Amino acid sequence: MSHQQLHPEIEELLGAYALDAIDADERQLIERHLRHCPACEAEVREHREVAATLTPGGPTPEALWDAIAAALEDAPPPLELAPVVPLARRRPRSMPILAALTAVAAAAAAVLGVRLMDQERQLDRMQTAMAEDSVQRAAVVALANPTAKTVELRAADTQAAARVALLPDGRGYLLADGLASQATDRTYQQWALIDGERNSAGTLGQQPKLAAFNVSGPVDGFAITEEQGTGVVASKNPPVVVGWFRSA
Amino acid sequence: MAGGGSVDKGMSSEEISRMTDANLVVAIARWRQEALAEAYRRHGGGVFGLARSLLGDGEGAKDVAQEVFLRLWKEPERFDPSRGSLRSYLLAQTHGRSVDVLRSATARQGREERDVRPAVAVIDVTERQVEDLARGAQVREALAGLPEAERQAVTLAYLAGNSYREVARLLGESEGTVKSRIRSGLRRLRLPLTQAGLVGT
Repeated sequence: MSHQQLHPEIEELLGAYALDAIDADERQLIERHLRHCPACEAEVREHREVAATLTPGGPTPEALWDAIAAALEDAPPPLELAPVVPLARRRPRSMPILAALTAVAAAAAAVLGVRLMDQERQLDRMQTAMAEDSVQRAAVVALANPTAKTVELRAADTQAAARVALLPDGRGYLLADGLASQATDRTYQQWALIDGERNSAGTLGQQPKLAAFNVSGPVDGFAITEEQGTGVVASKNPPVVVGWFRSA
Repeated sequence: MAGGGSVDKGMSSEEISRMTDANLVVAIARWRQEALAEAYRRHGGGVFGLARSLLGDGEGAKDVAQEVFLRLWKEPERFDPSRGSLRSYLLAQTHGRSVDVLRSATARQGREERDVRPAVAVIDVTERQVEDLARGAQVREALAGLPEAERQAVTLAYLAGNSYREVARLLGESEGTVKSRIRSGLRRLRLPLTQAGLVGT
């Protein structure tokens, strides 16, 4: 049925729809229509504003706020990204990644290898998710979060090419503007600087714009290097850009 | 924006009480609990009152009200200030959620229980709810200005959570008539409520 044929039938239902007084099939039909009909969308909005005045008032129950407050968490809600590599989560926060891994020296190489691969998959999924607003918004919101530490990454005395926001629970976002595009056989890689050591915080691909990552341990700063292939366990390359958190 | 941990000054209660609803939501997006508390202060009564109107005095209404504010906390970006007020956004969420609860409860109990409630009793309850409206004489006046048939259709649908089909059955009218009365009733309410400053940007 064409848009025009359907329209009067939809219009009849708009009042009832605004009051949730329709059934599930009708709801779907109307919502599909509203997506491309601004006139009907506007009518529904007006009906809802009117309906909102009809609410019975009443005292705001205090006990209810207590229940809401108890359910609030300080950390931001989780993103629909690939799950964090279990190793990073299970480790107690006070132990930097590298120190923990050297304590299990024999497994270290294998573990790091797995970690890099998971980060690749994470990056793939993230790049798909990047098409959606929610990841960008989460990064921007993280930047505005007063408990986040932020730092700009730059080369020598040039303009900042990237910005990192790090939240207290170890989740972080990298927003990059000014990194030149890499050749296809190379990648950028991000490093968390902990106790003078570089710890991989993920590979970034050839021209990163936005990345989400996780770190544990007290981070002094971040650096980005250029690497061959799909990233390395330990980098010998000087950083392309670097930034250090100012001490509090 | 370079630099280490920022100082969290918090917001004074005076600052918060002066913020517009839209700015409150921005503050909520920055995880300011005080901003959510202020949103609750402003709209919690309406949210809870509406849920109670539809679901009665049990835990159901409290659950819905809690869900609405937690959702505001977790997904503040869903509120679009260009599409309406925060209040109508929260109340639309409350209403939708409450009706879902009502409908699934009815489905579980079986339709028979609802049918058994005499039409007259349902209408009486709704009239009482109309009298309870605390948004003042202006709303009552606007409602009183509607033809009775339109007023009944709107309040039976909105305040008692009936679908238009159920309203048609309750009033012994055709479904088409009820649909049309709900729509024209809502339109007719717009002018007096706009003049009273209760709707419209």
